[in-house]
Amino acid sequence: MKNWFKSGSPWIWMTAGAVSISLISVIGLLAMIAWRGLSFFWPAEVYEFDIKQNGQSTVVIGEIYDKEQVAAERLRNAGIDLAGYDAEFVDRYLVKTGNREFVELDFRWILDTDIQQKTTKSGIAVIERTKNGNFYGYVHSVYQDGVKVDNSKLEELIERSSDIAEEALDLQNSEIAAINYDLERDRLKQRALELKGELTQEIKDEFKAKKLRLEEDYQVLEKSLFALRQKADRDEVVIKDMRGELVRIRIAQVLDIHFPNDMSLLDKVGRFFVQMGKFVSDDPREANTEGGVFPAIFGTVFMVLLMAVIVTPFGVVAAIYLHEYAAKNAVTKIIRIAVINLAGVPSIVYGVFGLGFFVYMLGGSLDALFYPEALPNPTFGTPGVIWSALTLAILTLPVVIVSTEEGMSRIPSSLRQGSLALGATKAETLWRIIIPMASPAIMTGLILAVARAAGEVAPLMLVGVVKMAPTLPLDGNFPFIHLDRKFMHLGFHIYDVGFQSPNVEAARPLVYATAFLLVTVIVSLNITAIGIRNHLREKYKSLEH
Amino acid sequence: MISIAPEVAKITNAIAPSELTQEQTALEMNKLNLFYGDKQALYNIDMKIPKGKVTAFIGPSGCGKSTLLRCINRMNDLVDICRVEGQIKLDGKNIYDKDVDVATLRQNVGMVFQRPNPFPKSIYENVVYGLRIQGINDKRRLDEIVETSLRKAALWEEVKDRLNDSAFGLSGGQQQRLVIARAIAIEPKVLLLDEPTSALDPISTLTIEELINDLKDTYTVVIVTHNMQQAARVSNYAAFMFMGELIEYSDTNQLFTTPAKKKTEDYITGRYG
Repeated sequence: MKNWFKSGSPWIWMTAGAVSISLISVIGLLAMIAWRGLSFFWPAEVYEFDIKQNGQSTVVIGEIYDKEQVAAERLRNAGIDLAGYDAEFVDRYLVKTGNREFVELDFRWILDTDIQQKTTKSGIAVIERTKNGNFYGYVHSVYQDGVKVDNSKLEELIERSSDIAEEALDLQNSEIAAINYDLERDRLKQRALELKGELTQEIKDEFKAKKLRLEEDYQVLEKSLFALRQKADRDEVVIKDMRGELVRIRIAQVLDIHFPNDMSLLDKVGRFFVQMGKFVSDDPREANTEGGVFPAIFGTVFMVLLMAVIVTPFGVVAAIYLHEYAAKNAVTKIIRIAVINLAGVPSIVYGVFGLGFFVYMLGGSLDALFYPEALPNPTFGTPGVIWSALTLAILTLPVVIVSTEEGMSRIPSSLRQGSLALGATKAETLWRIIIPMASPAIMTGLILAVARAAGEVAPLMLVGVVKMAPTLPLDGNFPFIHLDRKFMHLGFHIYDVGFQSPNVEAARPLVYATAFLLVTVIVSLNITAIGIRNHLREKYKSLEH
Repeated sequence: MISIAPEVAKITNAIAPSELTQEQTALEMNKLNLFYGDKQALYNIDMKIPKGKVTAFIGPSGCGKSTLLRCINRMNDLVDICRVEGQIKLDGKNIYDKDVDVATLRQNVGMVFQRPNPFPKSIYENVVYGLRIQGINDKRRLDEIVETSLRKAALWEEVKDRLNDSAFGLSGGQQQRLVIARAIAIEPKVLLLDEPTSALDPISTLTIEELINDLKDTYTVVIVTHNMQQAARVSNYAAFMFMGELIEYSDTNQLFTTPAKKKTEDYITGRYG
């Protein structure tokens, strides 16, 4: 035994054990998020349950979301009749029944003992709608413009209406939005001239004429928008729901229909990928509980890239000063310790600082100086994407400084001397030798910064993230990049969907799917950065001295 | 004892260093003292280094020969605690005067270090580095200088087909010749070599030594070495240093055959060092 300790084996076992535990945690976490998140996109089978409860028979159609065991004793105590059932535990299913307008909750628990029969009948349709969530039932009949047609035409009609809806949305988001944007800019221009006292009657008339022209254009567009909407809202489908009643649904409200019980495995796989594609490319609907998360992905990536653009030059310049020019004395040492400790400050503190300094002071001053015409509406004096990026840039600055400095101290002094001996000044040596050779280390700093920034949510809630942003920070209206806009963020989206949503059960798979997506986004940002770093390393790899 | 290469024997009747005229002198040191903090590393060095010749500094480790060499292009400025008193005159102008621009000085006094230190760039870019620093970017002129420098450094034939490859692909000896080519590309007046072959194999060493022999026609070369045979083979003049003092300085042949000082004799006969 003593020899065994002496040999060092227990030490090796201990270290290997620690590594295994970390590895298992990482893989377990990813696997769980991936499984729960990705199964959300799989077209699950829809069951028809025949239920007998307290002597009453009902039919329930829905997807099984969850299954748990409940102690029979507890159910009996709650006054539920479990006659003829003597096991200790009873299975209980969570079923998503949809049809939100006809039931109190679109999720319900069903006891295994109440189920008389559970079947996956052919012909059950799952209908995704723009309002009120999914609808489950059998397609009864289809009406095209009030005339009954064959049921097989349904998909064609849905396609037609969604094409038209898309056209209408395009019109609304591009041309109509552009006119609104122009109108607002003109209003601000006029107000600015007024404030300067340069607003003459002539200019006023000019503005008025332009406004009239824009409004005329708007009328035309609005008319065609209404026409499109009316055109889309033509057909109807009649569905027999689980109560056995016929429900009429406007096809304009139907986004998609599928028959999961009749799908082959290949169909299901196809639909799985289509649904996943929709999730990353669509806008959210119904208070974020339905639809996709595209604005959140875009906001996250945009903000992180903006932060990287801000933090890199600042961090590198600061590191150069600390490493190359600052005297090697106690003050420098204190500054360096302060920089390192900055990384340990809780992120919410940065959020408070960002709100107080950037948003109110800096943004407020900018508004007073450059955007007085918009006041009292703030332009930059309100949380926005630029302030979020700046706040996170400060938060990640220490990481960039520390790794850049480390990279610079790893460069062999012989190269520095070689450059100086050829008549280069210190600045030229820095620019031509030191910084290029330190660039892999700078990238390492940036990778760490991006990883940290993409995962931060708390400070963003104070300086720019919102639940629902109507516009992206990048669009077709001049000046194209709108740094003052608020944005959506995947991290905040997870919090919002999971904990602020009116329909927690419906939101849960979305939480996992979004979490998985967030991890994917961060990993892909990092892999890109690591790829660039390896390329740089290869380019600047120096001799082993 | 030391075997002396035949070409050294040819220059036995060289002028004694103290009798060099102003015309023949490249560098002149007057009462040079150097301190690292409180510790003195060089004591009252007085010497004249002849133009167009190879001068070797020899001596045991820690004797101050490299330190003295680094004074000539003010590389010691990089050491914070280093302080220099006295003068080094390059063409009659003291390089430690306040109005001297260190970068310009280093363009006139090139230096090659103990270990090859090519930059992480292509062979071509390594050679033109000093020229680009001077703001020369004319492609034709650079091409021309690259060729002549590499030819002078006896490297052209080996690398002419791969000028755009990384300099790290070269062998140690080739890298050292590249570094020499890089140094002579900016046409310095003086070339300082700090133990240029100590990290190389015998064959590379021989190539470099031949190269040094060729270079002395164009440049004033100062070489530090602790290899006495090498000093005897390549240099015209040799200075023996010990504990920061210049013990003996004369033409190489004389120093190795009839040393005037006991310490020199002890060192070159291998009694210590």
